[in-house]
Amino acid sequence: MTQADRRTGGRAAGTAVLAAMLLIAMPPDRLTAQDSQFGIRGLGTPGRWESVRSRSTGGAFGPFDPLSPLMEAPLADIGQLTATAAGGTSHRDVLVGGTTMALRTTRFPLMGVAGPVAPRLAVAAGFTTYLDKSWDVTLRDSFLLRGVLQRYTDEITSDGSVADVRLAAASRLSRRIAIGAAVHVLAGSTRMTAERRFDDSTFHPVQQSADVRYDGFGVSGSVLIGLAPGLSIAGWARSDNRLRAKVADTTSAVTDLPLMAGGGLLIVPSPSARFAAAAAWRSWSKAGAGAFDTWTWSAGAEFGSRRMPIRLGARGGQVPFGPGPKAPTEVAGSLGTGRAFAQGRAFVDLGLERLERRGGGLTERVWTVLVGLTVRP
Amino acid sequence: MTRRRLALVGAVLLVAACVERLTAPGHCPDYCPSGQITIVDTLLTTSINRDSSHRGYVVSYQSPVMLAAFLPDTTATLDGRPIFRFNGFGPRLPVSSVDTGQIRGADSARLQLYIVRRDTATHNLRLQFYRLPTTIDTTTTFDSVAAAFNNAPVRPTVYVDTLLAQPGGKDPVTGDSVVVDTVNHRWLLSLKFDAAAARYDGTSDSGAVAYGIRIAADSHASIALGKGTFGPVLQWYLLVDSLTMTVARTPGALGARFASFVFNPPPAPLDSNPVTGGTFPYSTLAVGGVPSARSLLRVAFPKFIRDSSQVIRGTLILVPAVPARGAPADSFVIEARTVFADFGGKSPIDPRLGDTTVIHPDSTGTVKIEVTNLLQLWAADSTHPTVLVLRAQAEAQFLGEIRFYPSVAAAFRPTLQVTFVRPFPFGVP
Repeated sequence: MTQADRRTGGRAAGTAVLAAMLLIAMPPDRLTAQDSQFGIRGLGTPGRWESVRSRSTGGAFGPFDPLSPLMEAPLADIGQLTATAAGGTSHRDVLVGGTTMALRTTRFPLMGVAGPVAPRLAVAAGFTTYLDKSWDVTLRDSFLLRGVLQRYTDEITSDGSVADVRLAAASRLSRRIAIGAAVHVLAGSTRMTAERRFDDSTFHPVQQSADVRYDGFGVSGSVLIGLAPGLSIAGWARSDNRLRAKVADTTSAVTDLPLMAGGGLLIVPSPSARFAAAAAWRSWSKAGAGAFDTWTWSAGAEFGSRRMPIRLGARGGQVPFGPGPKAPTEVAGSLGTGRAFAQGRAFVDLGLERLERRGGGLTERVWTVLVGLTVRP
Repeated sequence: MTRRRLALVGAVLLVAACVERLTAPGHCPDYCPSGQITIVDTLLTTSINRDSSHRGYVVSYQSPVMLAAFLPDTTATLDGRPIFRFNGFGPRLPVSSVDTGQIRGADSARLQLYIVRRDTATHNLRLQFYRLPTTIDTTTTFDSVAAAFNNAPVRPTVYVDTLLAQPGGKDPVTGDSVVVDTVNHRWLLSLKFDAAAARYDGTSDSGAVAYGIRIAADSHASIALGKGTFGPVLQWYLLVDSLTMTVARTPGALGARFASFVFNPPPAPLDSNPVTGGTFPYSTLAVGGVPSARSLLRVAFPKFIRDSSQVIRGTLILVPAVPARGAPADSFVIEARTVFADFGGKSPIDPRLGDTTVIHPDSTGTVKIEVTNLLQLWAADSTHPTVLVLRAQAEAQFLGEIRFYPSVAAAFRPTLQVTFVRPFPFGVP
């Protein structure tokens, strides 16, 4: 091993340790955690099917990123076996009813492996978060019981998520056109508890719990077209059938899942500047009352060499679940960078996102620190 | 090397990412789960049936205490009298390692008694000792020894309050003393019996003696004397013949071989009409008393509660048919338990869980016993008999007894008030 290699390895380890510290550096007591409160009354908080690289650009590079599980067609250009994983820690301030709460969540939303299996065929497998369903709600109230106003504290919790397990394949049909398709198995579970503690200890605490298991199925397809050197467009569509919730082998709910479609535009005017934009539509209103169809958009750029780029992005759109007649909205800005190590066989991506969601009298402001690891052995 | 480090860091990230702590105040209904905890409170007025009472579980001689009381009343004076017997040493006693001598009599004796329960409101408590026939046993009744209690006391009355007021609790004139155990709330009386009070007849009675005690006080004359470890102890100081010489001998102290108490009036029969002059066409549910009485309540526990809900409170509601009987100061505790199997009055009681309430003599108010844990047991174990047993927590240790209306008394029958939770709609968005 040369001295340069040792330096590179040392920097890689140092950066990875820094990334780990960013992920786990959380005040132990002051902050508490959960996913977006907009998802409590709905199915949950939809996941972001983007790698750290894509998310650092607001998601605009998602349709063109082979490591983002949004589209399959970019897999056709993956070139070699690649594995990736991502993690993120969100620090959230929630303003509702004149009060502010500080919440925290740490997620490990993406893991996948992809690689070519034939000259014109690449496949990928992995999982990403389809719906986050972790929340913990406490409530103080009272009601008349046995002729006496009884005060109580409720705590209802859900801990878990629905994962999207994807098996994808992509092929480059020509120099300009690549296509891809995937099947998606939705699977997951949540541990739910409902507790009530009365101030009057004569009433025993209410403690009920259940493991709720979820399943569903979906298919998706996508196409990537190179219109001209440095100019590409992408389109994708996806259909999931329904999300079935089962408690102790008994179906407790069946919820229709949305159709989704989207597209993107990639402009690469020079090797050191890349620009992208994307939009997507999702018919979440099929999920029932309190759910809305959503439009989302994103735009972003990546500058510099691929060994250490600078990324910027912005995104906006609607949140599928919320109270009231209109869908809540969200807008976010992000930036990030990455570093290649070990002669381009390992990548660490770092991202920082500032998000604001508004709707139904609630405002969420979120800082999210993202760390991605990619290995090409 | 670098790859290994990266793999290690990746593993650290995995572990870190799995650590969660969750909680946040809810703002309902917009930002709360759609499902809510649903509480239902219901009064089961007809679920208790086929109830019955049984007496005789613990009788007076089996009680760990001897009850003494004298509570005058316009209708029936409550009179409880401890009785106990000491067996003797027989006609002879060793005077040396090889010889025995005829016991000529007793110089004196010292009797130790523990007062293990008393009413702090009792004033001028007095104890009188009577010689009883040494034939007293488990069949002895109040009437059978009434004549002996009409004789003169064997020794002067013991004024406990006066004795307590003496320096060191010792009366230098009578030789009596009292020691107060403030930790265990017991009084130890040590009373001197002279030769007349402590007659030792080794020939005809083998030295056995029996005594009975009557108590009195300015008010609330009701105490309990200990038995067994804390029972009466008699120390003889004997005079023994030794080669025509009379020598003093102090043999080992004797514990009472039999200790019990008798009382009057006896408890009314279970099938009697407890309402004087009233029309009361059924037996009541008796709990407590001596011999102790228990009542069985068979509960038709609703299937909808048992199978699909969580009981958070259950209250057994009982209406007394007559005022609770007993010494006014001797409030007693009754408990509700369940049984392992329903064999009527001989049902084996499940000792694991029990719920209690305090009964105050002369009270007529509705009695409520929280039986939540018993109902939870029934809900958790569908094979468990749904039978409640009511009994005194300290059976035969109090004269108190309470009688409740049974299920056939439609207007006052025992009822169960149950608060339960319906299943939470888990999994419903």
